[in-house]
Amino acid sequence: MADNRAALAGDRLLAYAALAPSAFLLLLLAGVPTITVFVTAMQDVGMGDTDGPFIGFENFAWVFAEPAFYTALWNTFVWVFGSVALEMLLGLGLALLLNKSFAFRGAARAIVLAPYLVPTVVAVLTWRYMLHDIVGVVNAALMSIGITDQPLLWLNSQGLAMTSVIMVGVWKFFPFVVIAILGILQSIPQEQYEAAKIDGASDFQQFWRITLPYVMPVFLLTALLRTIWSFNKFEIIYLMTGGGPLDATTTLPILVYLKAFSDFEFGRAAAIAIVTLAILCVLLAIYFFFIKRAEARQ
Amino acid sequence: MTAIATRTPASLPRNRDIADMHYLASRIMLYLLAFTAVSVIGFPLFWMLICSFKPGGELYAVPPTFLPNEWTLQNYRDLFVQTNFLTYFANSLIVAFGATFLSLVVGGLGAYSLSRFRFFGIAAFSNATLVCYMLPEVLIVLPLYIYVVKLGMADTLISLIIANTAFTLPLALWFMRSYFNAIPISLEESAMIDGCTRLGAMMRVTVPLALPGIISVGVFSFNHAWNEFLFALVFVSSETNKTLPLGLATWIGQDNIYSWGMLLAGAVLVTVPVILFYLLVQRKLVVGLADGGAKGE
Repeated sequence: MADNRAALAGDRLLAYAALAPSAFLLLLLAGVPTITVFVTAMQDVGMGDTDGPFIGFENFAWVFAEPAFYTALWNTFVWVFGSVALEMLLGLGLALLLNKSFAFRGAARAIVLAPYLVPTVVAVLTWRYMLHDIVGVVNAALMSIGITDQPLLWLNSQGLAMTSVIMVGVWKFFPFVVIAILGILQSIPQEQYEAAKIDGASDFQQFWRITLPYVMPVFLLTALLRTIWSFNKFEIIYLMTGGGPLDATTTLPILVYLKAFSDFEFGRAAAIAIVTLAILCVLLAIYFFFIKRAEARQ
Repeated sequence: MTAIATRTPASLPRNRDIADMHYLASRIMLYLLAFTAVSVIGFPLFWMLICSFKPGGELYAVPPTFLPNEWTLQNYRDLFVQTNFLTYFANSLIVAFGATFLSLVVGGLGAYSLSRFRFFGIAAFSNATLVCYMLPEVLIVLPLYIYVVKLGMADTLISLIIANTAFTLPLALWFMRSYFNAIPISLEESAMIDGCTRLGAMMRVTVPLALPGIISVGVFSFNHAWNEFLFALVFVSSETNKTLPLGLATWIGQDNIYSWGMLLAGAVLVTVPVILFYLLVQRKLVVGLADGGAKGE
């Protein structure tokens, strides 16, 4: 790869010209917008406006005094921690299972990966029908085996809404973990297991001493990625519950959206977005630290 | 050897029986586990498909019927006759193909540059693309909405195409760079010795060789834009410019007015292109996802 570059390093103009459109678009769609959000967060933007007088850090002061912000922060934590923990557990388990050889394994893999490929709106629609209080199949099943005799209000009760949203999120996104871990499982040299078997290692010992050390770096990296993505997730929660009932499932991205496009308070919405970005930056820093360390090891 | 073998002729088969039993038990466990997992995970999609063929009465039956007593295509017919489903579908196709085309051309050139040249700021640029991909959509949508309104581009499909590249372009840059990296530069050099220009060598040698990779990047981009909801929700206001996710989402909100049957039929049809593309690049997709696991959702 290094040779690829050294051989024709002279053609500077072409190099910059080819990169320019990408750089321009990324600047336009990510760089400048991030700066705009900072500027908007310092403005008092009224109803339906997109600009307003500068008011310094007042919007930030409002954010940190606003109870809704702390509720959203807590909800975000529950949503991220709940979904990532379950996704990782389920993902690891199913990757180990699908790595074993059995009949129809190809079909089983395809079905397990399917939720990841299905559009979010489709996943939400299907689950909302399944979780419907009255006509939903989930309540019908639970009532027929006697777990509950009242239909559960999966999406319309404050106690259950977050659980439902996490459940649907896990179903939709855990296949990513399966794919990542299955990839690394397939790269473990089989001789190691054969040698361990000859030495009389049990299945558990083989898993603990061979599989787990191989899988661990990818497992941690995947967990971090899932954390970052779950933290940013908007549409699956918005489409399931719209952040409700009341504020039971309002995470930070949902709060930003509602402030901006439902209350039309752009300045305050931007200030929440900046605080959200600051938290994300911490997660990104951890991610890049791990990537760098993994690269250094190779 | 022979001495040992003759000394324990009776105990050997017994050990093998026990080992066989163990093996059999673990196989049964494996199949039970696999069957349970596949049924539970696959059920929602199975249910969506089955219920889209149920007539109205059965969709609201308590308790629900498992397989439809009566199979019908009424829901699909209603979808085409009573709603703007076809308009949504066409809009989604335009947005998804537009964003894919834009990111493949722009990202392809950029990735080629990142792969073949060494210049100042290259590492910083690569990391910046990765960060772009990880920015929350909801952070980007605020300023983009402001720009779109100020430029008078609100409620247009072109605004959606450009906005979508905020996420599909970083994807294209990252993946295509690694595909180009895998192609030896000596092939291009020979083409140039044979009289090709630099761009000619790229178009005639490198791009055809990287085609499988380019196709899977295209599928990823298409999928992302096909699914995209937030930009559409914020930018689009008129019925004629709605994309599929936005159109279907508006119906969910009114589940008393629109029948579940039509919604489920819509959901099935939205999934079809995704499944088709998946079958097209099945092997590549799994490999690509595993390779690029660190780089793109």
